[in-house]
Amino acid sequence: MDKPIISGDTIIIPSSQENLADVDLFIEGTLRGYGVQESIIADIAISVSELVNNAILHGNKSSPDKAVTVSIARVNGSVQITVKDQGIGFNPEKVANPIEDANLLKEVGRGIFIVRSLMDSVEITGSSEGTVVCITKAI
Amino acid sequence: MKLTDRVQDGIVILQPKGKIMGGPDASLLHDKLYEYIKQDMRKVVIDLKEVDWMNSTGLGILISGYTTLRNNHGHLKLANVTDKIQSLLTITKLVTVFESYDSVEDAVKTFK
Repeated sequence: MDKPIISGDTIIIPSSQENLADVDLFIEGTLRGYGVQESIIADIAISVSELVNNAILHGNKSSPDKAVTVSIARVNGSVQITVKDQGIGFNPEKVANPIEDANLLKEVGRGIFIVRSLMDSVEITGSSEGTVVCITKAI
Repeated sequence: MKLTDRVQDGIVILQPKGKIMGGPDASLLHDKLYEYIKQDMRKVVIDLKEVDWMNSTGLGILISGYTTLRNNHGHLKLANVTDKIQSLLTITKLVTVFESYDSVEDAVKTFK
């Protein structure tokens, strides 16, 4: 797989950060189509970028053979977005708290924390077939 | 993301434009910052007026520049922080780390 593929409400990308902008365009475009206000679009776009970065770098280890799948749907006054990778799963409980003093100046480790702060709900499911993160935000 | 840079009274002013989300664009900001650090330019202002939003990758670049400069007796300051970025700085408690100013001029004055 060389390039992103868009099919309906889903975009599938190769595991390279060069494809982050494609996901952002897809998500923001869809949200504008739903009539979502810009501030909420930004919060959702930030969150999706965090999850896609994690999927590429940590889930799929930037492997060109693995893909990241992002799906978006409008559900009962909220938007629901799912990000899937093809890694080996991860335990979110093991991520250090980035706002503890000892971690404040670390350059990494804030992604999930930011997503949990900006979104209404975050569900993370890991298995040997990969990690699935589902986020929702009222619109 | 696009990036413009200039030097004003010995102070480096970096102005990224667009979104800082990771990948090659984020590397642009990181590499330009470190290009100046290698030239022993230790006073840096990052003007965030044109940044739509950034994620943790962008924050990581700011932290990296901040700590590298601090460890070399220099300083990195922020100017024109948008509401969205201010919100992220607050959420992540980085508002306690970075000095922020309403304009580049205000930030530059603090170096004198």
